[in-house]
Amino acid sequence: MTNIIDNRPSEADNPGWIEWATGLLAAVLVIGMLVWVTWEALTQENRPPEFTVTITGRQMVQGNYRVSFDIANTAPQTASAVAVRGEIIQDGKAVEEVEVTFDYVPAQSQAAGAVLFSRDPGQDEVRVRAVGYTTP
Amino acid sequence: MAGAENVVGSRSQANRELRRFLLGLGRGAAGAMLFGIPMLMTMEFWALGFSMDRWRLLLMLLANIPMLILLADLIGFEHTTTWQQALRDATIAYGLGIAISGAILVMLGIIKADMSLSEILGKTAIQAIPASIGAMLGRSQLGGQDDDEEKDGEDGGAVPDHLSTHYVQELFLMAVGALFLNLNVAPTEEVILISYKMTPWHALAAILASIAIMHAFVYAVAFKGTHAIPEGIPWWHAFLRFTLPGYVIAMGISIYVLWTFGRLDDMAFTQMLMSAIVLSFPGSIGAASARLIL
Repeated sequence: MTNIIDNRPSEADNPGWIEWATGLLAAVLVIGMLVWVTWEALTQENRPPEFTVTITGRQMVQGNYRVSFDIANTAPQTASAVAVRGEIIQDGKAVEEVEVTFDYVPAQSQAAGAVLFSRDPGQDEVRVRAVGYTTP
Repeated sequence: MAGAENVVGSRSQANRELRRFLLGLGRGAAGAMLFGIPMLMTMEFWALGFSMDRWRLLLMLLANIPMLILLADLIGFEHTTTWQQALRDATIAYGLGIAISGAILVMLGIIKADMSLSEILGKTAIQAIPASIGAMLGRSQLGGQDDDEEKDGEDGGAVPDHLSTHYVQELFLMAVGALFLNLNVAPTEEVILISYKMTPWHALAAILASIAIMHAFVYAVAFKGTHAIPEGIPWWHAFLRFTLPGYVIAMGISIYVLWTFGRLDDMAFTQMLMSAIVLSFPGSIGAASARLIL
């Protein structure tokens, strides 16, 4: 309880058990978080970003052929300005290239996106891969 | 003759009440603008209006209603005694928030006639939340000295200068303060960018600094509403009962706001925690300030 005496709030001398219980619960949460972050700080390795691209869908949309994909960063470092290139491969050569840039792919997280080709690749191989990034 | 005087008397009484009401409305509008403008002029907020998940938007819009009612009960436009009055004040604040947000967005050319209804409504709705809190605070903070005296006299009842703030109310006010500063900062890209730039060591420093600042704001630095700890009570009593729960509340509000704006989607747990820690820094300052100001 806070008592406001002479317009100057002052904490009561005999707070109820609820206040102590809330305080203890909060202390446990804060200490838990501190321990977690400290553990992260101590065990964190400085591995640069690594990407895996998983194609999640292929669809013809209004004259474009859309290949949607998830890009996952498995490393503990975040990458920014991640350039991803999609290619249609015919006889070992890229016949169409499209590029998309992700603002961020956070550490150990994933982001979703899509590349739009001008034609249906049909039986040809579609390759989507990250071609570069910067550190934030 | 006496009857005529009564009529004149009740008419001037009604006039005075109308004036008081319009004055409250004006202060609410001023508050909505004062607190709402930083967000009304933030680009990310406009984008959120059409991009954010509609269920999350709806949840936030609904959650704003009980929050405004509770806030009205504590600091509303008029001195409120019943929940009907609190409900009325909350409705007025929400309405003012919507009207002023919409009007300013139109004036700034951010809402235009050729936009889809969904975009127009979304942009206005998301802005109405901080603006309505601002409208509510406007009455409390922009009020003159007269009101304060009057409020003390009415609020205190039999013991006019001794009023007890309930613990839960105190925590609630901290949540409102944290929410308010979070809404200012959360939509910007800087929050996540900072969380990517920080190492866990930086995060540790941010947590400890947030908690220390919160405690110092309320108990050490002598602002007008500074809370006094009675003689003979160790400092950590107040620290455990108010500051730490306050920080956990700021943290919770940060996570909620980040989730609402879709900033936590597809993120690893550590990354979520990092951005919540970043956002809790302004949040905890907001929470501490709310204890002082409100």
